[in-house]
Amino acid sequence: MKLRFSQLMTAFAISLGILIGLEIITSSLLPALGWYEYRLTFNVLIIIFLAIRLNSASLPWMIIGFQVIHSVFSVEGWALGTFASLIVMLVANYLKELLHLTTALVTMVTVQLFQIVWHVTVALVICLKISNFEKFGMILWSFIPGSILLSFISPLLFWLLERIWRVPSESGPAGVDI
Amino acid sequence: MKLVQESSKTKIVNNLIVGILAIYGISQKQFNLDEPSLFHQIVTEFISPMQKGLANSKKNLSALWENYLSIVNTSKENVVLKRKISRLENDLTNMEEMRKENLRLKRLLHFSDDQPYKKIMAQVVGWDSSNEFKVIRLNRGSLHGLKPMSPVVTDHGLVGYVYRVTENYSDVLTILDQNNRVDVVVERTRTHGIVEGIFNFKCVLKYITKNEPIEVGDKLITAGVGGIYPKGIKVGMITDISKENFGMTLSIEVIPSVDFHKLEEVLVLIPSEEAVSASTDPVSSSVTKESQI
Repeated sequence: MKLRFSQLMTAFAISLGILIGLEIITSSLLPALGWYEYRLTFNVLIIIFLAIRLNSASLPWMIIGFQVIHSVFSVEGWALGTFASLIVMLVANYLKELLHLTTALVTMVTVQLFQIVWHVTVALVICLKISNFEKFGMILWSFIPGSILLSFISPLLFWLLERIWRVPSESGPAGVDI
Repeated sequence: MKLVQESSKTKIVNNLIVGILAIYGISQKQFNLDEPSLFHQIVTEFISPMQKGLANSKKNLSALWENYLSIVNTSKENVVLKRKISRLENDLTNMEEMRKENLRLKRLLHFSDDQPYKKIMAQVVGWDSSNEFKVIRLNRGSLHGLKPMSPVVTDHGLVGYVYRVTENYSDVLTILDQNNRVDVVVERTRTHGIVEGIFNFKCVLKYITKNEPIEVGDKLITAGVGGIYPKGIKVGMITDISKENFGMTLSIEVIPSVDFHKLEEVLVLIPSEEAVSASTDPVSSSVTKESQI
């Protein structure tokens, strides 16, 4: 199903709004309630959804949009996540025929695998940037608990995003043209 | 068919452009200091009040939760009484919170008396939303006099330094972050080393040779070199020492003096004019900032 430009922009704006809300929750509300150890990186989840479920030439530019908003809440900046997003998109593109998010469990496992791809990329780039590969394991490990929780949340968020982006939620192959 | 090929071409071109932009962005990114763009400043100014509101909601949320739990299973005739008690308890909780806050602020002010710095008190309103960075957001910015690289402390010790500033908010790179390196001295032996953040709210003390008489329980203070942190601020305590199999140095684990789980208010130290002029003397200026960051 093809979306008109205005529909695409509306979906993009709503998703940005959702990301801002979720980022505020993870950066302020959860720490205020005592959750300090791990962060829920919702930008990763939204971008994984876009990479798996949508197929659009303008996707890389939208990803920059999401990452710029994320950079307001994190010193990570926009570039690192954008690079990881492109890798995730590349992998999703190759596995397009295999990805069928038929059940919540499959969605969770798929999201977890893509999060690992994302975090390995980010950890590698950070280690390259700080010229210290001894920290690779530690950086990667710091992502794991939060990413597992995100995987549990993913079916719910995907359900919501499918409605916003007007992607048919029936268990078809990934990569719907928009 | 032609349309599909064109779309595929556009996709490849877009991916390539964004990829190149991202690699350029990564190469330009500094994890120890940042100059926020105008867009970033505007969005931060717009969004951070919401973060501030949520950070302040802690007291209200806990009171709400307690009140809910206390009221939910009571009989009807006790409702009025319970509510009254709940209200009084709420008042008491608030008063207790205020008393604790008062005590904390007093300690903070007392602690900073001997520092030749202008002190700006700030409240923590948020944490970095990525796992790999340990950064806190304060509700004070350039309008309040905050400057990049200003040290941030509490009465318990060192928190970090100001990483980037917008008009009303600022981000602080804490000592828990792997990109923040602090020159320290072991208080008892006067041995110099570098404290670096790792994970699980702990740090490591690096570059201490195996022949140094370091013990578990030794306290670390800032060395005062590098031009950011003043000398003598508590940094942490050694909790574990293990000899690395290879190499000449010890592997030392450090628990920060500041309990970052309970961090609510901090003091930002802005060097006064005298302090700035003192820091530009030949002895101080001979120590480069790179040795610290």
